[in-house]
Amino acid sequence: MKQINFHIILIIFLCSISANAQLDSIQHLPEVMLTDSKLVHFSKGFKLEKLDDSIVGNNASSLTETLQYNSTIYFKENGYGMVSSPSFRGTNAAQTAVIWNGININSVFTGQTDFNIISPLNYDEISIRSGGGGVQYGSGAVGGSIHLNNTFSFKKIDTTELGLRFGSFATLGGSVSTTHTWGNHYLNVGVDFISSDNDYDYVGKNQKNNHGEFLRFSAKINEARKLENGVATWNSEYIYNDRNFSGSLNTVGKDAYIDIATRNLWQIQQKLGAFQTKIAAAHLFEQFRYFPDSEESFYDEGSANTFVSYLQAEVFLLKKLRVNGKLEYNYITAEGTNVGKNDRKTLATVLLLNHRVSKNFSYGLNLRKEFLNDFENPWLFSADAKWKISPRYGIRLNGSKNYRVPTFNDLYWYAGGNLELQPETSYQGEFGQEFSFGNFNVDVAAYYIFSEDLIKWIPGNGGHWQPVNIQKTTNYGLEAVVGYFMKLSKDQTLDFNANYSYRQAEDLEKKKQLIYVPFHKASGMLQYNYKKVAVYAQGLFNGKAYTTTDNSDSVAGYTVFNFGAEYKLPFEPNITFGGRLKNIFNTYYENVAFRPMPSRNFEIFLNFKI
Amino acid sequence: MMNKILFVIMTALLFISCSNDDDTPQEYIPAAFEKGILITNEGPFGNGSGNITFISEDYSTVTQNIYRTVNGTQLGNIVQSMGFQDANAYIVVNNSNKIMVANRYSFEAVDSIKTGINNPRYFIGVDGNKGYITNWGDPNDTNDDFIAVLDLRDNTVSSTIPVSFGPERMVSYNSKIYVAHQGGFGQNNVISVISGNTLESTITVSDVPNSMVVSGNSLFVLCGGNPNYTGNETAGSLVEINLSNNEILNTYTFGTVEHPSNLTMDGNNLFYSLDGKVYSLNITSISLPGNNIIDGFFYTMEAKDGMLYATDADDFASRGSLIIYDLSTNQQVQDFQTGIVPGGIYFNE
Repeated sequence: MKQINFHIILIIFLCSISANAQLDSIQHLPEVMLTDSKLVHFSKGFKLEKLDDSIVGNNASSLTETLQYNSTIYFKENGYGMVSSPSFRGTNAAQTAVIWNGININSVFTGQTDFNIISPLNYDEISIRSGGGGVQYGSGAVGGSIHLNNTFSFKKIDTTELGLRFGSFATLGGSVSTTHTWGNHYLNVGVDFISSDNDYDYVGKNQKNNHGEFLRFSAKINEARKLENGVATWNSEYIYNDRNFSGSLNTVGKDAYIDIATRNLWQIQQKLGAFQTKIAAAHLFEQFRYFPDSEESFYDEGSANTFVSYLQAEVFLLKKLRVNGKLEYNYITAEGTNVGKNDRKTLATVLLLNHRVSKNFSYGLNLRKEFLNDFENPWLFSADAKWKISPRYGIRLNGSKNYRVPTFNDLYWYAGGNLELQPETSYQGEFGQEFSFGNFNVDVAAYYIFSEDLIKWIPGNGGHWQPVNIQKTTNYGLEAVVGYFMKLSKDQTLDFNANYSYRQAEDLEKKKQLIYVPFHKASGMLQYNYKKVAVYAQGLFNGKAYTTTDNSDSVAGYTVFNFGAEYKLPFEPNITFGGRLKNIFNTYYENVAFRPMPSRNFEIFLNFKI
Repeated sequence: MMNKILFVIMTALLFISCSNDDDTPQEYIPAAFEKGILITNEGPFGNGSGNITFISEDYSTVTQNIYRTVNGTQLGNIVQSMGFQDANAYIVVNNSNKIMVANRYSFEAVDSIKTGINNPRYFIGVDGNKGYITNWGDPNDTNDDFIAVLDLRDNTVSSTIPVSFGPERMVSYNSKIYVAHQGGFGQNNVISVISGNTLESTITVSDVPNSMVVSGNSLFVLCGGNPNYTGNETAGSLVEINLSNNEILNTYTFGTVEHPSNLTMDGNNLFYSLDGKVYSLNITSISLPGNNIIDGFFYTMEAKDGMLYATDADDFASRGSLIIYDLSTNQQVQDFQTGIVPGGIYFNE
């Protein structure tokens, strides 16, 4: 069996596809600016991958799909479009931080982000930072963090992009985004939606995915204004999701969720002498309504307002030493049917340092200390180094201490919430190697994570469940990313990308692999371009994952393939049309046990760029 | 590995017994699960299927997942409980909203009931062809709870009886059904008395009646009391009801923060669990809390013929176990692996 798995992996590794621009290939055109620049400046010894626009476009249905096919992150998706939670390097769902323009947006209630309620088309740049980012991004950045960034620029831009999508199961999608600059202004406004009946067949089961309808709508405004010695920016988004929840092979779906989120961030950057300063204020609003029966009007709800403000000063000494100090104050107030009304205040101080010793060697040291929290306020640190030994070979090294604070559900849930909870703590180290042979790039990383005081809900006295800091785990694994670009002739090129990862995540008490953490995952993409035509095949392999804590039961591994093609009309305005056939072999597969994923289906699209 | 071998052997035995049936019909072949202990395992919540574990009377064989082994299909999500009438087992599959009917000795599927029930919890059979199923309906709605009356000749729901919210376990006495209303997602404090197709009366007991036994002319009801998180914590109690007039004879009260459960009986002794301890009480001279005879957190317990059968659901996300204690010594004599969340213990004899 192991051999079979190995061969499957090898096959995928060799013949399929994935796609990410790697590491140092993050090339920021000088005129395009990031709202969260410390991501680049203080992550030198970390693995940082930026997803190309074309890659996002190929998997645009949800952020789950985008990342599933283009990263080593494993997703536990409760049926297509349903609740989807990540496991980054084998860590739990609340240990992946989602960072929107530098602000942590994981839910106040669950501590995690549902990756199916985020549209990947709402951002200019999606990056994946592997490894602990607790110092910079706070609670939850343990396995890694996903960065959703909007950029801005003051060069002349006057474009409008319009996309229309249509697919199986009455899936309809559309997006418009328009960007203009004039004088000292930058303005980007856009909307995006997708709706689907999602009533796919359970292959070979003579059953349908009833009650899986979903609708997602997002809108964004991003504005920037040049000031005398700096810039003022405003980023804003609104997200609305209305979903019915699918049943499983054994149950009939009845419940539904409506999620609403708004996010606003105002920043002023000013150059004061040698210092680059930033003052920022943000407001995040999240609301969920859970309907046990979608036909009834009864619901449970929760809503939270998070206010973030920070002051940051950065100095770049002798073109070698970059130092960044930050003082951040957070105030969260949340209210819900099951958690009552509660608030939390946090004051955090952050010191980041990056020293470029030479052109080929740099290292960083980062520290964070929090105050005001009701629980123990940990010291967090990280250290990293990057050494480019030769033009073809570089190594990186990093180590960090990270944490995750208890969520409002953990603390205040009625019944069971435990006010005695302490943060989860983890220590980790990573060693990475980067090889580059012309158009052939390989990145191999090995990591180790030890976590303690992990919060787990366990049945307590009197039969009700309570969260306690009980679990200890160790995770270790290997990740390989391969990218290859080949020019076949004047008009023909070939692009190949693949990811493979092996992870072991063990509960130290039970000596068993954690549930829903597959040992193996691989994905890849092979794309052939001829003039204005692109054809690609894409594959995903998720290995077997255990579903019980004693590893007595598992959900089988699976491999799915997609095939796509697109054609760009050779004149202005720029029109691209194409299509994609998903799950071409009509494979039956489950991501979560007893919750089948879609049968073979198609999607066609038409994009205008004016 | 052991389980795999057992599974193969059991499957082989089934085939052998089947072919033998055809060849020599006169010879008596015992059904596969004729004598022994049956455990219903709820299974993982939300996904997956519950199942049934069989342990032979002499403890020599353990067979997991017997319904699927025999029938090739899963029972469904959350196997809540099982009841019996004559040769049939009525397996209540809560989240899949169905009752699977199988022969209790061979576990060959006989029938299924999928209409007329809503969030079913427990089954009890009486008078040969009548059965009752407690139903929560929507657990957030306290006004839609009911008892479904089954005609066991064709396994259809013949009528429904609206009742107070959260009907759970049932016992029968003199053809009447006594239903404990534990209270679903909330708390309740009544016992419904059902006769035929009508709700004859209700008896108000203490909060959260969770388990019952009949001894002679008395019905003992163990009430857990409201838990602390309700903000209105009440003491657990043991209520004795005179079955000839349905009046309360005695109420024995626990401490305010004590919430007992799992009342079971063997001979003249009652057993229950409280705060990680099992206590015994002599029916003729009840004085709480009684003797602490065994330590351990158990998900469910049944006392029978000098033995105490208790299940441990561990973390509710891995296989549980059945532990058997000898009540003459209060020592563990056996333990067996079960399925996930072993919630019901039954006997074929």
